[in-house]
Amino acid sequence: MSTGTRSRDLGVDLADFDPVRTVALGGIALLVSAYGSVFYHFIDVTGQPLAFLVVGAITLGAATSLSSSLRLRWATVVAVGLLGAGLTLYVFSLPRQPPILPLMTDAIALMTGRSLLQVTNVDLWVLGVAPGPLFLTWYLALRRRYVAGVVAGGGTLGFLVLTGDASNVTTLLGVVGGIVAVAVGDMDRRGDSLQAAEPLAVLLAALILLSAVAPVVPGGPSRTADSWSSFQTGGPGVGGGTVEANLVEADNQVGIAGNLSLSPEVRFRVESDAESYWQIGTFDRYTGDGWIRTGSDHSYNGRLDAPPGQSRSVEQTYTAVDDMSVLPAAWKPVSVGDDVADRALVTDLDGLDIDGTLSSGETASVTSRVPVASGEQLRSAGTDYPSSVAERYTRLPSSTPDRVGDRTERITARADTPYDTARVVERWLENNKEYSLDVQRPRGNVADEFLFEMDAGYCTYFASTMVVMLRTQDIPARMAVGYTPGERVGEDEWVVRGYDAHAWVEVYFPEVGWVRFDPTPAGPRQAAEQQELTSARENNRTDVDTNDTGTSEWTPTPTATPAPLTPRAEQPAQEAPGQVTVPERITRPGSGPEENVTISSPSVTAAPTNGSGGGGDDASGPFGGRPPTREETTLGAIVLLGLVVGLRRTGVTGRAYRAVWLRYQPRKDPETDAERAFERLEYLLAERHRPRRPEETPRQYLAAIGADERATQVAYVRERARYAGQVTREEADEAVSLVDEIVGWRGA
Amino acid sequence: MTDTDTPVSGRQESTVEDVDDAQTVVTRVVDNVEQVIVGHHNEIEHILTALLGKGHILLEDVPGVGKTMLARAIAQSFEGSFKRVQFTPDLLPSDVTGVNIFNQKTEEFEFRPGPVFANVVLGDEINRAPPKTQSALLEAMEEQQVTVDGESRTLPQPFTVIATQNTVERDRTYELPMAELDRFMKKLHLGYPETDEETEMLDRIVGEHPIEELESVATLEDLQSARETTANVTVERSVREYVTRLSQFTRRHAELGVSPRGGLAVLQAAQGRAVLEGREYVIPDDVQTEAEVVFPHRIRTSTDETTPRAVVENALESVRVE
Repeated sequence: MSTGTRSRDLGVDLADFDPVRTVALGGIALLVSAYGSVFYHFIDVTGQPLAFLVVGAITLGAATSLSSSLRLRWATVVAVGLLGAGLTLYVFSLPRQPPILPLMTDAIALMTGRSLLQVTNVDLWVLGVAPGPLFLTWYLALRRRYVAGVVAGGGTLGFLVLTGDASNVTTLLGVVGGIVAVAVGDMDRRGDSLQAAEPLAVLLAALILLSAVAPVVPGGPSRTADSWSSFQTGGPGVGGGTVEANLVEADNQVGIAGNLSLSPEVRFRVESDAESYWQIGTFDRYTGDGWIRTGSDHSYNGRLDAPPGQSRSVEQTYTAVDDMSVLPAAWKPVSVGDDVADRALVTDLDGLDIDGTLSSGETASVTSRVPVASGEQLRSAGTDYPSSVAERYTRLPSSTPDRVGDRTERITARADTPYDTARVVERWLENNKEYSLDVQRPRGNVADEFLFEMDAGYCTYFASTMVVMLRTQDIPARMAVGYTPGERVGEDEWVVRGYDAHAWVEVYFPEVGWVRFDPTPAGPRQAAEQQELTSARENNRTDVDTNDTGTSEWTPTPTATPAPLTPRAEQPAQEAPGQVTVPERITRPGSGPEENVTISSPSVTAAPTNGSGGGGDDASGPFGGRPPTREETTLGAIVLLGLVVGLRRTGVTGRAYRAVWLRYQPRKDPETDAERAFERLEYLLAERHRPRRPEETPRQYLAAIGADERATQVAYVRERARYAGQVTREEADEAVSLVDEIVGWRGA
Repeated sequence: MTDTDTPVSGRQESTVEDVDDAQTVVTRVVDNVEQVIVGHHNEIEHILTALLGKGHILLEDVPGVGKTMLARAIAQSFEGSFKRVQFTPDLLPSDVTGVNIFNQKTEEFEFRPGPVFANVVLGDEINRAPPKTQSALLEAMEEQQVTVDGESRTLPQPFTVIATQNTVERDRTYELPMAELDRFMKKLHLGYPETDEETEMLDRIVGEHPIEELESVATLEDLQSARETTANVTVERSVREYVTRLSQFTRRHAELGVSPRGGLAVLQAAQGRAVLEGREYVIPDDVQTEAEVVFPHRIRTSTDETTPRAVVENALESVRVE
């Protein structure tokens, strides 16, 4: 790696424009923008992209200005130094300094598919990490060390591929950029002309087309925004298809899918002091297209904090009927029984999780402290949020359209307290949006789309939208998933089925804690679920019932009605005994290191027994029938370029164009028509005899080749058009039809 | 291509009818001249297109090939006045332009016009006269007027000079300088006639020379209106650009190339050519035909390897037509 061997290796001479160099640098730029777009997405999700853009611009500027003066060795030192300094700053910015070891395991977790979005303060992380590689990549490219530059940039992109944050399309774009940079860069160093790049263009087109058929990144489905369009077959969310799978399959992320179905299978039984939603996880970070839980789990070690305000204890015992890879609990869990204490995990948001699975028949007991607060208390709770809560739970992607906030502002204009605001939003969503499992997943910001463009959705849409709406009003809120109580089969016993899986909203109130809100309309959802169960029973499925279900639902005597645990009591529709909103289902199959809920592509099967499910819109092409994303457009353009170059090299386009051009003459003004007719004649005569030499006048030419009268007449008309400036419509038409005649359909 | 707004010489464009009339006149003259002159059809046409384009003609060749006869035949075909000046080494400018003579009766000077006061002036062997006399004629050609004793007198219209010059006896002649050659629109070479033409010519002129019986077939008014028509023949921009490219080519390939005046001359000649062929617009073919005789005497080559004529041919074979 000695420094420049030739003088032209050094320095950036922007004055003289070199197309080869430009294309090579364009390849590098494509690579940089591929991983830059992923970084940008991180930043966008968590807040202020401005700082990132400024840092990026400064880095590029520095790399450009230093590329001619700084020696390679020192540039490497600078890049590594930037990276090291960035990471150090990041570590020191963390709220509590983690010991080294967890940092290392975190890094490994990232490399094996853990999304960077789960990293705490991912914006600082990006700001710390991005400049180093960016500097090196651009510096090397400007010094014509394209291969090294691609290695630097490709390494960064590779890391993002390993974390699963770079979608297939983004990756492909980066790969294409890298190939262009290496290949054209080589030409640049050898001083070839851009002509030599034509085979490359064809090759790239083939590469992209092939990769559209066979995924380039065979690893797990990617989860970032552009993966929605599922450039490859199927796209992510292979296990999707049921609401439960969608919500529960992986515990650190929840995505928002297209249409889903319901499963009537029994998952577990609960014995509990009180009816509740059996929560299995909460999510704090909204990415615009899904939810992510930041931070990492730690093992359960004794009691957890109780909610700050008044609360009552609820003992629950869960008995797995099917294998369960989650540990439900009524919010907020404070302790776990001995039966699972050694396997229990605690998430960064104080939720419970389990390492491994609860197999059928196993039990898990959990003690929760459920906040008890009247509506009045909640109204007077104020907005004195702890800064960590406000910071974490009011953040929205900066790309969230302003109209979400504006609309929320209008809807909640008369609500004075966060509690009222939450209630208004909850009821507004309930009343204004239909419940439907058969929806086309929108592109773009889900909450915005649901609020403005969609008429119907299911719990994930309702809950996501409500959280986003509340956050626009600076009310800390988060997404919760789990199960609704299920079918009550005894005074303190419930049977929970797959279709009970649900998503709802939790809103934070100072001195109270997290309080549950559920904006999903309960009625239609229960109807859908009941229908599912009935048809499953009719089909004699054995896994949909336990011994005590299905006969007649247990109805609590009035005295047994539990005291309302939350202000939900004020909502009769939701509180009818035994009719509590029924969510959908759960169970996390394969609990590998992969910890995400994938966001399904719009291809989802309607339940076979449920005629109402519409496979409606999934008859879409590889682009999912939606307008393609920017990345796809770029790739498409490259494909097109390659095809055009390829066809041009084979002369097909030229010939095809000529064939059409020769036979089809659109009419314009007489002068143009006459001129065009003569051009066609000349082309034809050139094929049959010889081309007219530039210095020959048409008359000389026609005389020289012994052209017939028709040709002479065409030339005469054109002569008048050209040199007399006057030709009549009739003359022009005559010329055109004469040429048509000469051409014939088998001419040329 | 529909840039019709600027024909070379303003005014309204010639109509097809105008051109037909003019063509008829010219054709009549050509037929008339050919009663006397055997062969030389191209040269006759060249002289007539020059006449239409208001140009003067220089005929250059060895003696005895019929230069004078041709000029006379053309002059006589028109009704106008025709004068002939034989240039000799002792010819004075006043012999050409005319002189003021004191009239004893009226006791006044009165002007006696020289031979230049005619519609067609034949200047024979112009290169034998000294430069001062030559330039008297050339001034008349350029200015369409003569100045005698400080008084300017306008020449009759139309006014055309057909000059001849000898290519033998070079040592006893005054070579016309380049700047003055430029005044002639065309320089033509007649050359010897073909064998059968020569025989036929001898046939015709044995006995009484037919030139004596040649009648005029066109009036001066015919010529004037034909000239007007010619001046208004359409020259599209593409043709003008072609001429410019040709001129520039000669400038690049010779010591002295065609001047803008030469370019204008070729366009005027081409307009005459268009009329001769009955067209109300100029096509590049016209330019090519005329350039062969309009350009060479305006070009000077420095080496012996190439001649002005070769330069022009080279230009016609290299410059692109649009």
